[in-house]
Amino acid sequence: MNRIIVVTSGKGGVGKTTTTANLGAALARLGKKVVLVDADFGLRNLDLLLGLEQRIVYTAIDVLTEECTIEKALVKDKRLPNLVLLPAAQNRSKDAIDADQMKSLVDQLSPKFDYIIIDCPAGIEGGFRNAVAPAQEAIIVTTPEMSAVRDADRVIGLLEAEDVSKIHLIVNRLRPEMVQLNQMISVEDILDLLAVPLIGIVPDDQKIIISTNKGEPLVLEEKLSVPGLAFQNIARRLEGQDIPFLDFMAAHNGLLNRIRRRLLGS
Amino acid sequence: MSDDSPNPNWQLVPQEDCIRLTLTLPVGTTPLPPTPPIAGGFSHQQLEQSLNTYLCMVAGRWGSQNRVRLAVQNQLLDSRQLQAIAASLGQQNLELQWVETTRRQTAVAAASAGLSVDQTPPEVTLISSSPPLLPPTPLLLRQTLRSGGEIRHSGDVVIIGDVNPGSSIVADGDILIWGCLRGTAHAGAKGNQEAVIMILRLAACQIRIADVVARVGADASDRREPEIAYITSEGIRLTPTRQFQRPFST
Repeated sequence: MNRIIVVTSGKGGVGKTTTTANLGAALARLGKKVVLVDADFGLRNLDLLLGLEQRIVYTAIDVLTEECTIEKALVKDKRLPNLVLLPAAQNRSKDAIDADQMKSLVDQLSPKFDYIIIDCPAGIEGGFRNAVAPAQEAIIVTTPEMSAVRDADRVIGLLEAEDVSKIHLIVNRLRPEMVQLNQMISVEDILDLLAVPLIGIVPDDQKIIISTNKGEPLVLEEKLSVPGLAFQNIARRLEGQDIPFLDFMAAHNGLLNRIRRRLLGS
Repeated sequence: MSDDSPNPNWQLVPQEDCIRLTLTLPVGTTPLPPTPPIAGGFSHQQLEQSLNTYLCMVAGRWGSQNRVRLAVQNQLLDSRQLQAIAASLGQQNLELQWVETTRRQTAVAAASAGLSVDQTPPEVTLISSSPPLLPPTPLLLRQTLRSGGEIRHSGDVVIIGDVNPGSSIVADGDILIWGCLRGTAHAGAKGNQEAVIMILRLAACQIRIADVVARVGADASDRREPEIAYITSEGIRLTPTRQFQRPFST
C-alpha cells in the first residue's frame, strides 16, 4: 500500500520545498521508491533544490495535454536510483490545472511508487486545493513564529474539511538558544495550539541555505549535519520506526547560556 | 409524485453584503408534523448538477458580490453535499461562506466542512395559536475551532475543544468552552446582558458580551483555572469558577 502525502503550510517560506526534497531523498535512501510531485505551477523550485533543473524536458502540463507519457516526464535523480521528480510547468499559472487533473496524474503514478510526495504552493487558493485533492495524508511545516503557526492552524482546518485526517507536524527552523531565552515560541506551545502529532523538529542552520544553493539535499551528505539527521529521522518515523527526538535544548544548556539567562532575568 | 418530478429548487438573491442562495427541496406528502425533507434523497451529484444548471440560467445576475450565504431551512445536508454545492459555486467564482440552517446536524456538517454556520431557531409556521416560547436548542460541537472558522447560533453554544486564534463564536445565549479560548467569543449577541461565557482555560483572546468588549492579554498563560465572564457595572469581569457567587438568572 503506497502513501500519498502532501507537504503544506499555508504561509510561504517556511520550508515546504526543502522538507519535500530532503524527505524524498531520505526515503529513497531507505530503499523506498519515491516520486516528488511539484504542485507549485508557475513558481517551481523543487527541481532546483534537487539539482535537477537542467534535466527537465517535459512537465506535468505536457502529460495532461498528452504531449508525452508520464514516464517520459519523470526526471530521474542520478545519485538516487529510487527518486524521481514530476516537474511543474514554470511558464503557466496555477489555474493551468484543476483538482481532477492533479488526481489523474497521481493515479497514474500511484501503482509504481511507495511514496508520492506532493509539494504544495503557499496560500489556500486553487493551487492549494489542487495539491491537496489527491492526498491521503499531510505533513504540515511550520516555523516557531506566530504568523506561521496561525496559518498552519487554518490549513489544518481546511485539510480536515477535505477529509485528510492523517496529519503530522514538522517544526522547522527552531533556534533552541532563543527558545531558552523565551524569545521564541517553544515546540510545546505550538503543539498545544495545533493539537496534531509531531513527526520532527528541524533546527535552523546555515547549511540548509548552502545545500539549497548547491542543489544537493542535506540527507545525501557523507557525514550528516544536525538538520540532515533531523530529516533522516523524520523519514524513518514515516516508515513507522520509533526514533527518539533529538534534544536540541540540552545542547544549548551550556554555562554561557545559563549566565545569559540569569542576566536577562528569565 | 406527479410528472413535475421533484427537483431541488434554487433561488438566488443578491444582497448588500453577500448573495443569498436558498435551497428548497420538495417535501413529500407527509402529514403534519412535517418530517424534515432529507437532502439524502438527492445524491451530492444530483444537487451539484441541479445547481450547475440553475447557475447557468442566472449567470451574471449576482453583480459584483461573490460571497454566498446558503439558506437551507430545516433540510438535512451532510458535509459531502455541502462540498458539492461549494464546488458548483466555485466554478462560477462564487464562494460559499455561510450556511444558514435551523437544523443541528446540518450546522455540525457545515462547521466540520470549514464553513461559517448560522443556526437560527426553527421557524414556527402553520400553528397559529400562541407560538411556543421555547428557547432554541443549544448547539453542541465536538471539535476544535481553527483559524477562519466562525460559529453563529441563536441559542447557547457548547464547544468541546479549543477555540483557536482567528476563529469566533457568536451566540445569542451563553457560551461554554470546554477547552482553551484563544479566539473571539461573543455571548448575548442580540443584547442579552445576562449572558455568560464559561471558559475552561483562558489564553490571549477577546470576549464580548452584548455590546461590551474585553480583551484578555498575553499574560493569561498562567491562568489555568476555569473562569466565567459576565457583565458588571464596570464592564466585563472574569472570575474563577469556584468563586463565582452570582446566581444564574432563572
